[in-house]
Amino acid sequence: MAATFFGEVVKAPCRAGTEDQEEEEEGRRETAEDREVRRHLARKREVRLFRRQTKTSLEVSLLEKYPCSKFIIAIGNNAVAFLSSFVMNSGVWEEVGCAKLWNEWCRTTDKTHLSPAEAFCVFYHLKSSPSVFGSCARKNMQVTLLTCRHVTDYKTSESISSLHSPFLKALKTQNFKEPPCCSLLEQPNIVHDLPAAVLSYCQVWKIPAVLYLCYTDVMKLDLITVEAFKPILSSRSLKGLVKNIPQSTEILKKLLTTNEIQSNIYT
Amino acid sequence: MASRYDRAITVFSPDGHLFQVEYAQEAVKKGSTAVGIRGTDIVVLGVEKKSVAKLQDERTVRKICALDDHVCMAFAGLTADARVVINRARVECQSYKLTVEDPVTVEYITRFIATLKQKYTQSNGRRPFGISALIVGFDDDGIPRLYQTDPSGTYHAWKANAIGRSAKTVREFLEKNYTDDAIANDSEAIKLAIRALLEVVQSGGKNIELAIIRRNQPLKMFSAREIELQVTEIEKEKEEAEKKKSKKTT
Repeated sequence: MAATFFGEVVKAPCRAGTEDQEEEEEGRRETAEDREVRRHLARKREVRLFRRQTKTSLEVSLLEKYPCSKFIIAIGNNAVAFLSSFVMNSGVWEEVGCAKLWNEWCRTTDKTHLSPAEAFCVFYHLKSSPSVFGSCARKNMQVTLLTCRHVTDYKTSESISSLHSPFLKALKTQNFKEPPCCSLLEQPNIVHDLPAAVLSYCQVWKIPAVLYLCYTDVMKLDLITVEAFKPILSSRSLKGLVKNIPQSTEILKKLLTTNEIQSNIYT
Repeated sequence: MASRYDRAITVFSPDGHLFQVEYAQEAVKKGSTAVGIRGTDIVVLGVEKKSVAKLQDERTVRKICALDDHVCMAFAGLTADARVVINRARVECQSYKLTVEDPVTVEYITRFIATLKQKYTQSNGRRPFGISALIVGFDDDGIPRLYQTDPSGTYHAWKANAIGRSAKTVREFLEKNYTDDAIANDSEAIKLAIRALLEVVQSGGKNIELAIIRRNQPLKMFSAREIELQVTEIEKEKEEAEKKKSKKTT
């Protein structure tokens, strides 16, 4: 037994392994109620796919129904704005499904309504060119990821004032043979969250994948940050998909003005 | 490493950083861009206007403020901090005039603002001001001045400078384009300020606000129409320059 700073008595962990251990185990054993609560939580946390328009759920795995050769993921509002205005503007894209996540930190349990503050993912496929989400086997699939990170996360031995943000860095898996459109991410910088998970998966399953990471000093939706993704338009995976660049810039500007959140803290 | 030395303003890190001051400089980058240019007979301040909410009165969202008849300033960063600094500077200008019977020099009021900011980097329980300011004006001797202050309390005189978001891009543009020809006369200096802002402003002329001070004249704020006229002229000149270039190459 030990006393903490605040005077409460806390049982200190015992490395010797005394008879008290059996008593502890009894207390830890699950009751039926615990199991029920755990099952309920697991059901809530399941990721289900559904169609937004019809609100019906998709029973089949998306990749089985729509095998694809080019899989492009945009994470974060700037990357999504880039993809929406430059890539999805050319050609007709059809929404094939939507996935919404829930875990204990979410405030609502509504599974079908999407609000901008929640984590969700919408899947689209190109109607006119089925090979993007087409009939090729998974072996020939190439994955492109786009995301943003704040420039203060970027570690470098150069002086910070010489950094010209926003700038693009790339990270690719071993099977990705094409040269990336910008310089590679140097050590000791690391990638976090969903892009890291996708890249790790692709590396393990030998799928060629590349992540384009934009370091910016403005994390909210911003024209200059979105335009920093432009070099990617010359890459092989996006080349065939982008047609009308001036029109895309106009669409982007409109997107920015409609989504601007008014804040008077900074002028 | 940084997280252990960045809680209090009065604590240096082992390698000599005052992290709160550096974080205050990040807050400045969240404000929209402001550019200042010192011409031969004119000083120009241009700012990127933030889009105003529909029901908001535009006149109350101003980045350019007069400190006295012959001095004005533009800021970038925390709006509330700017309001406090501007109020103190305005009171100081009048107090000085009543005491000494002369208007403040631009350098004096800049030094006052910088000293105020520095005090807040050395006090317990207070945080630095999260603003950078560009202060322009004419002294009694008729010489135009442009000064820039930052959250650490330093101030320097500049020929042309920019603060706020994308300040680096604008500064690089100014370094390339600030020539004696570019400030040869007043209208050229005004055009240089607008061209510098157009490098980073998102929707062209309607998001720009401009103010000038000419020697022995009070502050003049440009109306939206006047700015539009300048922008159209600049675009015409750009087109003509491009036509000339393409003619040379063919």
